[in-house]
Amino acid sequence: MAVVLLPSLLAREAGGEGRFETDASTVREALQGLPIRDLLFDERGTLRPLVNVYVDRTPVDDLGAPLEPSAEIRLVAAVAGG
Amino acid sequence: MGAAVLVGTQKGLFVLTGDETRREWSVEGPHLTGWEVFHAMRDPRTGTLHAATNHAVYGATTHRSGDLGQTWERAGEIGLPEESGLTWEKSWHVEPGHPDEPETLWLGGTPAALFRSGDGGATWAPVQSLLEHPTRDKWNPGAGGLCCHSIQMDPSDPQRVYIAISAAGAFRSDDGGETWEPKNQGVAADFFPDNPFPEVGQCVHKLLLHPARPERLWQQNHCGVYRSDDRGDSWERLEGNGLPSGFGFPIALDPADPDAAWVVPEEGAENRVTPNGRLGIYRTRDAGASWDLLTDGLPQQAWASIKREGMSFDRLDPAGIYLGTQSGSVFVSPDAGESWLEAASFLPTILSVEACEWQ
Repeated sequence: MAVVLLPSLLAREAGGEGRFETDASTVREALQGLPIRDLLFDERGTLRPLVNVYVDRTPVDDLGAPLEPSAEIRLVAAVAGG
Repeated sequence: MGAAVLVGTQKGLFVLTGDETRREWSVEGPHLTGWEVFHAMRDPRTGTLHAATNHAVYGATTHRSGDLGQTWERAGEIGLPEESGLTWEKSWHVEPGHPDEPETLWLGGTPAALFRSGDGGATWAPVQSLLEHPTRDKWNPGAGGLCCHSIQMDPSDPQRVYIAISAAGAFRSDDGGETWEPKNQGVAADFFPDNPFPEVGQCVHKLLLHPARPERLWQQNHCGVYRSDDRGDSWERLEGNGLPSGFGFPIALDPADPDAAWVVPEEGAENRVTPNGRLGIYRTRDAGASWDLLTDGLPQQAWASIKREGMSFDRLDPAGIYLGTQSGSVFVSPDAGESWLEAASFLPTILSVEACEWQ
């Protein structure tokens, strides 16, 4: 199973769980299956522009890319704000 | 049952709880850390806390707590219909529905959108009629975006709802939100030199209804302070009789006195700080015919800024008035503005204050 790791704010919003296992076949499917998907995508299904997705420590732009069963997805908020 | 103030900040929600005198206050929080809390209120019908929450990365939503902030639940996905061509940007204000409909709440925000919840804030449905309003192409965003920031229910008629949008103006619905009629007659839009009194486009900063005389409305506008005694059909401009400026953001009322109101003037649109280098609150007790400066206990050297949600009032006697500055201070007057005390300082930038009962 691939895993998705959440930063602390998203983990709180997911009921305190920061690690999710998934058998999704694509990165998008894995993220859409999370209980915090509304915080990652807008109502058109577009990934919010300041959400960065890494698979096995490599930034991913194509959310339709196949997901290996051993993959580790990390969600990282862009460095922004004050 | 004591008094409390919900203080929404750029970095979470704080709760100030007061003793019976409303002169001793303690600070709890922050709750909802990481979220910008544009507005929070305690629903008097259910006791539930509701917060309009935004995040620079994760978007706009609402949270609610049924245990006075110990735990919070985020609403289901909030979105605008695809055919609108719009996406939900900011949650600005959450308002309880009519007392006879305890599960109904309203949510306003950017881009000039309104939502209604029929399940106590668990989910929100967009109010289609506002998205399709025939004057919508004449609305323009103010400095804070095209935001629906004021929602007022008529306690005498569950079908009558008022909203205000910056910069579109005030609107009234007499059919529970099915249709909306602009209510801006007599309200200036000086930033349109070619037509300073348009049907829509006014920059309302805050609109309130008087709960004991629901045909009476007040608004602090970009271009003046106004009162309506006919449900918004016409407005009377009120400054020039004691107010140093017509520009400001918040307004507060006294639930026991329809003729009383408090405002915090700022120098003007080009310099948005309190005038004369001090923090002064102005009060009328004659429906806006005259205004008195109140300063006892307020800092005498200050260049303060108060957001549109930055002032509130309670339902006690005498009325308590609450003020939150962008510099992170909360000032409380337990005697209708006669005297003030600083109940908290050095909070993050304050976006909203809302008085409520606590237990």
